[in-house]
Amino acid sequence: MSLVLEGFLNTVALTLLSFAGALVVGLVVAVLRIVPVPLLRGVGTAYVEVWRNIPLLAWLVLFVFGLPEVGVTMPLFWTAFTAIALYEAAFVAEALRSGVRSVASGQGEAARALGLTVQQSLRHVILPQAGRRVVQPLANIAIALTMATALAGVVGVVDMTRAAQRINLELAQPLLVFTGAGLCYLVMAAGIGFGARVLERRLA
Amino acid sequence: MFDAPGPRFRRRVFWVSVVSAVVLAGLVALGLRQFAANGQLDPVRWRPYLTWPVWRYLLNGLWSTVVAACATGVLAMAGGLLLALRPNRFTRAYAEVMRTVPVLLLVYVMLFVLPSFGVNLPLFWKLVVPLALSHAASYVVIFRAGVESVDPGQREAGLSLGMPDGVVTRFVVLPQAVRHMTPLLVTQAVSLLKDTSLGYVVSYTELLFNGRVLANYNGLLIQTFIVVAFVYLVVNLALSRLSHRLEARRARTAR
Amino acid sequence: MGRLFVAALLLFVAGCAGGENVVPGVGGGKFAVLLGKAPMYTGQVTPGSAVDRIKKRGKLIIGGSQDAPLLSQLDPTSGELTGFDAYLGKLLAQYIIGSPQTELLSATSETREPLLANGTVDVIIQTYTITPARKERVAFAGPYYQSGQSIAVRRGTSGITKPADLAGKTVIAGANTPAIGAIKAVAPTARVVEFGSDPECLTALKQGRGEAYVQDQAILVADASKDSELQLVGEPFTEDPYGIGIKHGDAEFTKFVNDWLREIGKSGLWQDVWKQTIGTVVTGDAPSPPAIAS
Repeated sequence: MSLVLEGFLNTVALTLLSFAGALVVGLVVAVLRIVPVPLLRGVGTAYVEVWRNIPLLAWLVLFVFGLPEVGVTMPLFWTAFTAIALYEAAFVAEALRSGVRSVASGQGEAARALGLTVQQSLRHVILPQAGRRVVQPLANIAIALTMATALAGVVGVVDMTRAAQRINLELAQPLLVFTGAGLCYLVMAAGIGFGARVLERRLA
Repeated sequence: MFDAPGPRFRRRVFWVSVVSAVVLAGLVALGLRQFAANGQLDPVRWRPYLTWPVWRYLLNGLWSTVVAACATGVLAMAGGLLLALRPNRFTRAYAEVMRTVPVLLLVYVMLFVLPSFGVNLPLFWKLVVPLALSHAASYVVIFRAGVESVDPGQREAGLSLGMPDGVVTRFVVLPQAVRHMTPLLVTQAVSLLKDTSLGYVVSYTELLFNGRVLANYNGLLIQTFIVVAFVYLVVNLALSRLSHRLEARRARTAR
Repeated sequence: MGRLFVAALLLFVAGCAGGENVVPGVGGGKFAVLLGKAPMYTGQVTPGSAVDRIKKRGKLIIGGSQDAPLLSQLDPTSGELTGFDAYLGKLLAQYIIGSPQTELLSATSETREPLLANGTVDVIIQTYTITPARKERVAFAGPYYQSGQSIAVRRGTSGITKPADLAGKTVIAGANTPAIGAIKAVAPTARVVEFGSDPECLTALKQGRGEAYVQDQAILVADASKDSELQLVGEPFTEDPYGIGIKHGDAEFTKFVNDWLREIGKSGLWQDVWKQTIGTVVTGDAPSPPAIAS
């Protein structure tokens, strides 16, 4: 039974921490992609393209088994956290960028025409609207991230899916065990969806 | 919405560029030094990747990856289309549930649950079916958004011309919806291709799995997985570029 | 951009032309000698039986590993498969078909039962331990090899000399292998970390992700032969007889394979295969093949 708890807690912790990390890194990358400095834009674009186009499982294997080979050893959990956070950051950056872009053109020009400076129009016109528009895409990323944490089980982290698989080995009750695990993910996703709706209403 | 850059702003951009270039070069140098210090840049460790047999093996894997991705794509799109065209409580619940359950869990269900009920598919399908089930849910969302993005006036116009409902859907709504959906469809294709890397778990000999076998054989773990990652990158970038081109061409002809 | 697409297309075509992972007929020169001594089946073949099917197909489809040194390892560049399990597979093909035509389908401990049950593979030869639980789903020929779970540590590790010392330690094991149960039985407080394949477990041990690694002795011996950092601790602490997995309920084919195993055991071919593979790292004479229950 402790295995179930360990798996569940690991999945929850990995989801929350990775998402927080992805938000921070994603915000930085989104800024890089928006600033009017070509070099930084290039870096931002490269980051997004490289991380987005390579499977997370490949990243996890590369991080877990590769990093120690170049002299960087972290505990398994934190290695998985790093890989997942950096991977999802690419998606967060894209969500933030398209959120800003969806407001920027018309509204931004209107604000500028009224005499607001770039900073003012960002602060008072664009960001508040963009904030509301990115809640739903970010929630979708968070749900995808919850699912993605299952892959950490392949590289040794005892997450929900790995725990289910190991319990099944002992109990030989596959239907029960996997349905239970699936329900856990459903509950987490429902929680994220609920949180997103509350947040959206608050921002409206 | 930015002002046309003045001299002061341009100077600032210049300095930011210089500083960030230096920082970037420093980071790259640091990384390379770390690699070199651990002997990972040794030419001996990279030379195998200039030989044909190694590439033949990896490309075999890539081929399996593509086959699995195509099979999954066809199944998932068909399923997604069926579900999207009949919006009811069941299809909505299906999309919601499948969007939240990890594919890996579905793969495990395929491996451990279904055999005890007498359902035992070949290895290839053990990978493709869970992927298709999961991605079908994503396609439902994409298709629905695509259909909703078409102005209802278009459908009404078609109906008022006396076209049957099916004809309107097929010849008026869907072509426009597809145009709106193209970017999302490509994103989905990339995500699908990436998900086939779960073959690593079911030992379907796709690209990532072959990478593992290769790394186990020659002991060049870092090099192998960097090369494998690079192959994924090239294929997926080519996929997105291709779609950009198609889109551009269609935008031209549509006018 | 168009050029890039064409290049990608060419890559696909090239990959396609490479074809399946069909293992070429004969192994190294030394194995060819064994093949010369290998028996061939000359008796009656029941139409529609497994033997009949394999004969008509002209090759034996084996579920196994591609990355188990000394047992079943693929050289990805030449497509050559070597090792104890691999050679037995080729000899079995020789016995049935008259030529060592085999195709290896990569299996894991998680997939091999389904592979057998739906007839994707004819046999599983993959350090497949015969257990009562598995016997309910799989028929076993053999045992063809006697092994057991052993403990390996990084050279120089102190404090682990017997299975009970694993208590409270972080122990690495292959996902879904009997090792997990074996660890829990001797040291219930051990923390088990699972990885998907033996090389991954080995890498993880060397990188310090666990203090010990529990795996089948044959595999560990093979690993230690390639890697001086690895050290085996004591003797195996369980008894694991390896069997050749066959579709559940196919008594005829099981008896057929058992007869073949007895024959190569008696003629000394079994020992020859052992000497060429596991015997290259294990000192001493070849053991006698395990007795086969009828």
